[in-house]
Amino acid sequence: MATYDQGDGHRRWSAEVATVTVGLDGIVTGWSEGARRLLGHRAPDVVGRAAADLLLGREVPQAAGLALTGSQEWSGTAALRHRDGHRVEVTLHAHPSLGGDGTPQAFVVAVTTPISGSRHDRTMVEWAFAQASIALSAHSTASRSWHLNAAAERGEQVFGAGGEQPGAAPADEDFLRCVRRVAEEAIPMRYERAAPEPSSAPAPARRQAWIIELWPVRDPATGEVVGVGTAAFDSSDQHSARQRLALLQEAGTSIGTTLNVTRTAKELAVLAVPRLADFASVDLLDSVLRGEEPVAGPVEANVVLRRVAHRSATRGDVVPDAAVDLGGIDDYPPFSPPARCLTGGRPVLSGADDPDFARWIAGRVSRTTAVETYGIHSVIATPLRARGITLGVAVFVRTEGSPPFEQDDLILAEELAGRAAVGVDNARRYTRERTNALTLQRSLLPRDLPKQAAVEVAYRYLPAGRGAGVGGDWFDVVPLSGTRVALVVGDVVGHGIHASATMGRLRTAVRTLADVDLPPDELLTHLDDLVIHLTSDDDTVDGRIREDSGEIGATCLYAVYDPVSRVCTVASAGHVPPAVLLPDGTVSVVRLTPGPLLGVGGLPFESTELELPEGSLLAFFTDGLIEARDRDVGLGLERLCEALAAPVPSLDVTCDTILKALLPESPADDVALLLARTRALHADQVAAWSLPSDPAIVADARAQASRQLTAWGLEDAAFVTELVVSELVTNAIRYGAVPIGLRLIRDRTLICEVSDASNTAPHLRRARTYDEGGRGLHMVAQLTQGWGTRQTPVGKTIWAEQTLPAG
Amino acid sequence: MAARIADEGSGGGTHTLGLLYPPAGRNRDYTTMQLAFVGGVAEAAAAHGYDLLLSPGDRRDDPSFLRMIRDRRVDGVIVMEIRREDDRVERLAAEGFPFVAIGRNHHTGSSGWVDLDFAGLAGACVQHLADLGHTRIAFVNRSEQLFHSGYGFARLGDEGYTEGMKKLLLTPRAYLCGDDLASGEQVVERILLDDPMTSSLVTLNEAALEGVYRGLTRHGRSVPRDFSVVGVAASPWAEQVTPALTAAEIPAKEMTRVAVDLMLRRLRSPDSPPRHVLLKPLITLRASTGRCRPAPGSEPETDFPDFPDFGMNV
Repeated sequence: MATYDQGDGHRRWSAEVATVTVGLDGIVTGWSEGARRLLGHRAPDVVGRAAADLLLGREVPQAAGLALTGSQEWSGTAALRHRDGHRVEVTLHAHPSLGGDGTPQAFVVAVTTPISGSRHDRTMVEWAFAQASIALSAHSTASRSWHLNAAAERGEQVFGAGGEQPGAAPADEDFLRCVRRVAEEAIPMRYERAAPEPSSAPAPARRQAWIIELWPVRDPATGEVVGVGTAAFDSSDQHSARQRLALLQEAGTSIGTTLNVTRTAKELAVLAVPRLADFASVDLLDSVLRGEEPVAGPVEANVVLRRVAHRSATRGDVVPDAAVDLGGIDDYPPFSPPARCLTGGRPVLSGADDPDFARWIAGRVSRTTAVETYGIHSVIATPLRARGITLGVAVFVRTEGSPPFEQDDLILAEELAGRAAVGVDNARRYTRERTNALTLQRSLLPRDLPKQAAVEVAYRYLPAGRGAGVGGDWFDVVPLSGTRVALVVGDVVGHGIHASATMGRLRTAVRTLADVDLPPDELLTHLDDLVIHLTSDDDTVDGRIREDSGEIGATCLYAVYDPVSRVCTVASAGHVPPAVLLPDGTVSVVRLTPGPLLGVGGLPFESTELELPEGSLLAFFTDGLIEARDRDVGLGLERLCEALAAPVPSLDVTCDTILKALLPESPADDVALLLARTRALHADQVAAWSLPSDPAIVADARAQASRQLTAWGLEDAAFVTELVVSELVTNAIRYGAVPIGLRLIRDRTLICEVSDASNTAPHLRRARTYDEGGRGLHMVAQLTQGWGTRQTPVGKTIWAEQTLPAG
Repeated sequence: MAARIADEGSGGGTHTLGLLYPPAGRNRDYTTMQLAFVGGVAEAAAAHGYDLLLSPGDRRDDPSFLRMIRDRRVDGVIVMEIRREDDRVERLAAEGFPFVAIGRNHHTGSSGWVDLDFAGLAGACVQHLADLGHTRIAFVNRSEQLFHSGYGFARLGDEGYTEGMKKLLLTPRAYLCGDDLASGEQVVERILLDDPMTSSLVTLNEAALEGVYRGLTRHGRSVPRDFSVVGVAASPWAEQVTPALTAAEIPAKEMTRVAVDLMLRRLRSPDSPPRHVLLKPLITLRASTGRCRPAPGSEPETDFPDFPDFGMNV
């Protein structure tokens, strides 16, 4: 009889056997424990009594076993009385116990559970094991053999490759280790297992997975673990759901790591291949790449998109036979899946069985070829939408050897595309902001430096690397009268549009002040005043803005180089001094009085004069060039000097050399660099004379100028020049003070200068009809390209400029 | 005779001009200046279709000079470097042979001449220095021998300088100086010995110029910071020295061109009155003059600091 012994805690499928010995006289001589359990009588109660007393009703002839009539074995059924009186149906097996002479001495009677269904049930249980719909197995610890049911044998991958043969060990080492642990520690365990990734197929084939429950099998009698039972459940759905979740989770961290549109698109492709698709492509609207605002909402049909990223499981990023090259554009007819997904604003699942897909593919040879070569049979096209704006489309493709996409994949693709779209949109917005600021900055910086002959220049402006945005560094080259040139470099503290705008104001101011031809120290004083005014203006506009604008911290270096005297006059408002490379190869940082920052006010600026041999190379720069986190300014200057001294073929190359030597990949601050190689005007280009303050000299001066022009081959300019010389010299003699000088410079233009020691600048008067004077400067202004006046340390100079005849 | 020459002038003649110049000097070398004049005359003549016959003679009885005149091998003669008393000029004038002088003396009045206004130039040099604030201005003339032998410009220069100084109520200090380096050094010595406060000088002696610079350097006077030098010199010379000399040009080209022009004019219309051209070029500003600064220690210190140190960290 099958019983369940609760106390033991184990299921037991063994029949109950009770053994009783009966003497030849029918008296019970032995009583087993099993008999006690079966009938309730304890041995002392029964031994010595007639066995027949145990029978329920004495009529039983069949119970002859207990009648004991011979020496034969006998078996039969009988009904016995339990101690508590109830009836117990049993099967009796009587075995005569023979003595040495072959005669029976006693009988051993085995009393077994009598029910005929017991054996049947047991078999049935075995069948149930064998035919279970879930994969079951039993492992015997002693024999190390495996018993698998049919389901386990069919799904041979469940327990590994070796599992197909009963008794053979499964191949999966991890699993076996787990089995051993269950056997040794006698604890149930759960083991999860996924089918190994097929190495041949590139496909992200849906992998099978199982959860295997393991438990120890004990001998109920001893409690000893004799084997391990297992049951495996197919968890493929769960597994793939988890894989999708993991993919999404990863998308969160690996897509959109930068504020770069292309990079973000590439990240999407890298993530999707090969885990979701065999091939993925990301195409964006052109406007997105430019950082512009794309059209909100769904895009019109027949869209033109630019390929930004694609990736194939077999060939990585380089997919030469893709239908569209990286960076190439393609248009998509309205019925194509990409266009459809854009129109509908939802992902589209399509494939070989979709007539539209076939039509799209057939429309272009390159597509047809690609589809045939790779056996493309399943496609998901999903729009890249973020914040209500469609940015482009991502297409995922599965090729031969991979199962077609399912509905779940569609959701996953949409989700991935969504993440990527947000990243792309962020990058786009950042690009736009940055482009705006850069555009502003560029528009404020000189595009083409003005043509001038005093110095040969080369320059670079580098905005700060990621994050910091554009700054307020600037530089300028301003041609001045008398072939001189002003070289300016400045830095407005801070970053972003505000710094750029302030930079623009300062640059305009410097240009204006330079045009007045102020000496460097005076110019900086005026600029200083201007900055103080700007700051107080900002304060009065809005108290809240003050936090952002605050005080304008700005530095500026202003230098004027005169190619005739070869003197460079420099003044600095808290700016880093320039470095100079002399023609003999010595290089140094110019020693300047640094001066206060602009906007401090009240403190004087000082000019320093340098006489430079022709061909000296001046390097003006902002602190971004020499400052870095990993070194101090001194070291930066040292490196700059080294780079400056390195022999290079051209100024532009020198610029690059310097930047390369000093800057990291992505500089933290913006950098402006201006290089100027000085030229000198020689005697064949400059002539200067001293004039006595004697009206009689005017004619001589005129004649001398004329002779000089003849020597220069500029006879055509003689007429105007003589007039100008007459006028300016007469003015100087009449109103000016000695010494009076006349200078002709033949450069890009013909310049006539008259200087005297008086500081009184002339005014352009309007002469009345009968006025004798006052016409001269009008005439000069009419006849020349331009005229002007500038203050000199000892007086003033009035100049007039004429264009040279071509050639 | 004059009429005949006029006929020849219009009808053809020899179409050759003669150029008289003194024989080479001490080292049997011609100076750059002399060569510039010879070249200038040849060029200007060629431009008018005339050839040039050269005669290095400085006296009336020089054979080549005589051949040129007697044989009428030339239509006219240009005479270079004339002295105050110059028998070549006397002879030409006496014979009525058409000639033009580069330079002048009392015999050239009847003929055409072109000359530099040395007196005016020396005066202008003084004026230039005075404009810059100099009051103690010395004058370095040519050699004593040259001065007395009668090259006109040395005397003229001296006169111009003295007059200029007097006009400005300044004390003239004129020095004669040999045409060599050592003399230049010596003259500076003398000048500064006579008046240590001298802050500038005018020179006609380009040959001694380097010596003058050297002497100034030796006395701790740097040009143009402490001492200004202005002169009359041909431009290549003035530009070659360091610092380049602020000087009135000797316009060799201009003078030769004018000389040939005057010659041709004379040949075409022999009866027109002789023309005299006195050139007075302007002083070309170069690097050897500057504002007058008091000599160190000579006057109480002003509030202005000394010249800033042009700090090149080399």
